[in-house]
Amino acid sequence: MSGPPAGVGVRVMIVDDHPLWREAVARDLAEAGMEVVATAGDGAEALRRLPAVRPDVVVLDLQMPQLDGVEATRRIAAEHPATRVLVLTASVARADVLEAVKAGATGYLVKSASREELRDAVTRTACGEAVFTPGLAGLVLGEFRRMAGAPEPERGPAAPRLTERETEILRLVAKGLNSRQIADRLVISHRTVQNHTQNVLTKLQLHNRVELTRYAIQQGLDQGE
Amino acid sequence: MTGTRPPRTRPVPDLGDDGPWRAIDVFRFVALAYAVWLFLQGRDGFRHPWLAAAALVAMLAWTVALALRHPRPRWVLSLDLVLAVVAVLVTRVVDDPDRIARGAATLPSMWAAGPVASWGVARGWAKGLLAAVVVSLADLAEIWPAPTQGTWDGVVQLLMVGVIIGYTADLYAAGRRRLARATAVEAAARERERLAADIHDSVLQVLAYVQHRGDELGGEAAEIGRLAGEQEARLRAMVQGGVPGGAGRSDLSALLAGLGASRVSVAVPAEPVELDTGTALTVLAAVRAALDNVVRHAGEQARAWVLLEDEEGMITITVRDDGVGLAPARLGEAAAEGRLGVAAGIRGRIAGVGGSVTVTGAPGEGVEVELRVPAGAGS
Repeated sequence: MSGPPAGVGVRVMIVDDHPLWREAVARDLAEAGMEVVATAGDGAEALRRLPAVRPDVVVLDLQMPQLDGVEATRRIAAEHPATRVLVLTASVARADVLEAVKAGATGYLVKSASREELRDAVTRTACGEAVFTPGLAGLVLGEFRRMAGAPEPERGPAAPRLTERETEILRLVAKGLNSRQIADRLVISHRTVQNHTQNVLTKLQLHNRVELTRYAIQQGLDQGE
Repeated sequence: MTGTRPPRTRPVPDLGDDGPWRAIDVFRFVALAYAVWLFLQGRDGFRHPWLAAAALVAMLAWTVALALRHPRPRWVLSLDLVLAVVAVLVTRVVDDPDRIARGAATLPSMWAAGPVASWGVARGWAKGLLAAVVVSLADLAEIWPAPTQGTWDGVVQLLMVGVIIGYTADLYAAGRRRLARATAVEAAARERERLAADIHDSVLQVLAYVQHRGDELGGEAAEIGRLAGEQEARLRAMVQGGVPGGAGRSDLSALLAGLGASRVSVAVPAEPVELDTGTALTVLAAVRAALDNVVRHAGEQARAWVLLEDEEGMITITVRDDGVGLAPARLGEAAAEGRLGVAAGIRGRIAGVGGSVTVTGAPGEGVEVELRVPAGAGS
């Protein structure tokens, strides 16, 4: 879909505890003209090297020793807002994937994805697009429904809800349609589809941050008493 | 069954620890101290005080020996009981008949309850009762022919000690067995989790790597890579699937996740979607049938997507493929040709659990089968 020039010059950091994987992914991305500026074996190392290399995209595994992927994502999102996180994992734990996305990752890909899918995903992540696999769309749909069904919190903001259009688009993503196909089916522009998916992630991440802050304040107040 | 009445079978409680024995040992020492105190109080009235003192020393020696030796085989328990009986009967020899008739305590007094408690702990409530009867008979023989009110009180107390301690020991042993079973189940579950983590860290990573690298090299290597990719998807599905829910309930998302393969993508919520097991298995079978249908009619190269949604009491499962698809006008025709035969099977299954099926399709857009099942179905 997107030719090689699309991703040329994108600065990428690869974080994975398997050296073979780091090499294979680095080779792939370099072949597509991207610049692999650093690799790291775990989240802690990644955070140490991040300020010096300033990548556009961090390709991150979830299960790692020393600062796992979820926590690393949270810290990258908080400390380096210009850097985007693409989760690339063989993890079988659905909850971990959802947590990483809530913590600020803007894309998710399984390691069995093809090389083209990987390059395309990194390119799109660098452009600020959300990279939704069908699996991730299913998780996010489920999460919004869980929040809608949960009892309203006594204080604090109500859980965010999806608009009808957003739900419609997420369902189509989960059923395997790409954004071009979705745009055709709903008779809207490709760009509009991307805006909607982007909004969904922003809502989820914003709510997650508010919840975390609220929790932190409550804990802090409790300790003060 | 246990908990409502004492077990009838011959239980040999495996107590697994020394706790109850230590308690009984402490009781023996306290009871012996009491017996010595009683003797010292009334020693002037004894017929043979030195003989009584010697008997008390012998009792002390036995008590110490028991406390030092914890495994209690049957012969030790039997000897313990015989010694208690002898100690009770010796009272008749060493004490004054008038004192006995007036209701003075036996020489060992409460110490004689020790073997009763031991039998209860070691062999359950029935043997505890039997030991209590034996010691009680000795108590009655000691004061015969005129048992006092105190004698009868003592008998009732002994019987209670035998039954209650025995019964408690039975419950304690049953509790320990249940705990051991629960611990074993938990250990098995943890082992499964560890295996899943291991498989993720090693096998899945390597298979995904082989697929990736094969793809890169092309040619025959690409074919090997494709095979590795298929195995990766199957193994991933296996590790994810089949987690049992509560009694009679099953997690439909785990069951469906198990269907994932290289050409089948499964999207489910992160939280379990629990359904009555029968309903869940019916839905699983229907989704399998829909996927078989994809392979049969949409072509080997077609990909399929399964989406599970759980919203306000309604479970929706969508199976979509990207095959040749159907013109709506041709749906009836296709049904006539038997191409929707499997779809009809799906309808029957889902109707059986109170759900409905919709099939849609457009030329070039694949076919979409939507199953809707009420979450409360079958419960």
